[in-house]
Amino acid sequence: MKPLTGWICSKLEYAILRCASLLVPREQRGEWLREWRAEMWHAREAMQIGPERTWRTEAGIFNFCGGAANDAFTLRRLAWEAADAHPGFHGSAAECLLVLSLLFGVSYSLSRVLPGVRAESHPTLYKVNPNLIMIQNAFASDDSLATIPLDKYRSWKSWRQRYFDGFAFYRIAKETAATGVTGTRRWKVAHASLNLFWILGLPIRFSTMTGDDTGRTPGVILGEGVWRKDFGGDPHIVGRMVRVGNRSSRVIGVAPAGTWRLPGDVDVWLLEPDAENRGVGFVIAHLTSLGETLMSSTRVEITDSTSDDAQEELCGVSFAARTKGPWGFYKFTMLLALLALPAITSVSLGENNFCSYMPSWSNRLCRWIFLIAKVGLLLPSVYYLSLDVAYWHTMTYSIRAQYVQLIVSFVMGLFGLRWVLLDQRNRCPVCLRRVTHPAQVGLAGRTFLAWNGTELMCAGGHTLLHVPALPTSWFETQRWLYLDTSWKFLFASSSAG
Amino acid sequence: MVQGAKLSHTAALILQAINAGFVYGFSIMEMTGLPSGTVYPAMRRLERDDLIRSQWERQSIADAEQRPARKYYRLTANGKATLETSRKRYPLLERLIPSEEVKQV
Repeated sequence: MKPLTGWICSKLEYAILRCASLLVPREQRGEWLREWRAEMWHAREAMQIGPERTWRTEAGIFNFCGGAANDAFTLRRLAWEAADAHPGFHGSAAECLLVLSLLFGVSYSLSRVLPGVRAESHPTLYKVNPNLIMIQNAFASDDSLATIPLDKYRSWKSWRQRYFDGFAFYRIAKETAATGVTGTRRWKVAHASLNLFWILGLPIRFSTMTGDDTGRTPGVILGEGVWRKDFGGDPHIVGRMVRVGNRSSRVIGVAPAGTWRLPGDVDVWLLEPDAENRGVGFVIAHLTSLGETLMSSTRVEITDSTSDDAQEELCGVSFAARTKGPWGFYKFTMLLALLALPAITSVSLGENNFCSYMPSWSNRLCRWIFLIAKVGLLLPSVYYLSLDVAYWHTMTYSIRAQYVQLIVSFVMGLFGLRWVLLDQRNRCPVCLRRVTHPAQVGLAGRTFLAWNGTELMCAGGHTLLHVPALPTSWFETQRWLYLDTSWKFLFASSSAG
Repeated sequence: MVQGAKLSHTAALILQAINAGFVYGFSIMEMTGLPSGTVYPAMRRLERDDLIRSQWERQSIADAEQRPARKYYRLTANGKATLETSRKRYPLLERLIPSEEVKQV
């Protein structure tokens, strides 16, 4: 064996011993590492024939090091068993709250790091002007379908309206764009009326226009994704000419990521006069005070009289659902989870006992505080974890991310609350430690003759918990048996509680 | 541990090896054929139960021989008594590791 190979083997062997020692309880670590090293030297002496190192010797030494790792695992297992035998922190209420706090800490930290979550959590993103509705064909199956022809929008706009004092239109098309920086691109372009951003009240970055200009000047508003990807996030982008389709337009600003909540995934908005637009699109209308009174619900029916006296059924859809934000969805899913909870577990806290003995009021208060603390740590963890999962790969708002958030927060909320109740039912009412050592009692075949179920005990020696295998009329739910001081001698660590 | 308490075969084998003069971990492994992951934790338990006692050799001796100091094990009075009891329970112990063999080396 070459000297360099031998040197590498030695380093590896010491590294294995060092790693193995990390598994050994801290107070014994130094002693064990010293003994392993000494023994390894003697093992090498015994195995090595002659002054030269051989692969056979090194294999034997590696085998010895593997044994050291086994020693460490054995010691770690014994330490865990010892911890179980002498309950202290393990299974206690403090451990439970610590784990939940860690979960909350991790989920919150992730939400601060993930750009998608940070963008979505910004409250200004989903603020649009009030009193807006989107007008659609009443028979459209999906509000993401464009249903209003441009001519109809023009005619509404030209007539004096009682319920609306402003309209905006947009349609989405894929166009080839020449940026002058990265060549040609295919963008999803929203061909919009000049007043679209003004009527919605959406912010535009780098724009030097006043509110009135925003509704009058034609130009291109870039989405933040396009601005970063195709223009390198250039802060002096305003004024640059880009070619979208067959026409050149001037960039007038950048729409911050996550602000666009209307139907359609859009890369850029081409604001152009209505005369240059065409096709079928979406119409946003601003309500007058009279319209606001009559159309306060999330969906209202609108009848449009056409020029030949025929009537067309339309509907006005509120923006409330689209501008809800993650907090709104979270509240909705938590409400659903609370309603669904009784379907998957009993909502009882299982505090029945065999006699009239009641724990002291301070014990009962502690039990309630513990329950509230668990729920208080679980709910924000669910909120942040659902956001972390939904926006893990997504930088901005998307319908898909919202669905993911809905599903994740519902599932985690439902099963999290179920766990909270199950955990609470399995904690000693006196010391809040989880009851352990389950023992099957009785025979299932004799359910109607005698009690059968599971008995668990508090390691602190305070209580026994009897859980029936099959609820019967005389033993429907779990019951606690409070142990008096005459039982203390059986529990070596009763003071641990 | 109560004198004469029952030992597992592995623990009895280790006691027998130490009694026979195999007084450090690696030699016990070689003699008994038990793996490292078994021998060292077992010796710690025997030491905890006061059946064996360990002692690091003096560093000066190890330095003189240019090697690391090693940890030696020996039986306590309790350990000797327990080994006697175990020999009755496991009659093959002495055949597996005869005490005379070491004394002849």
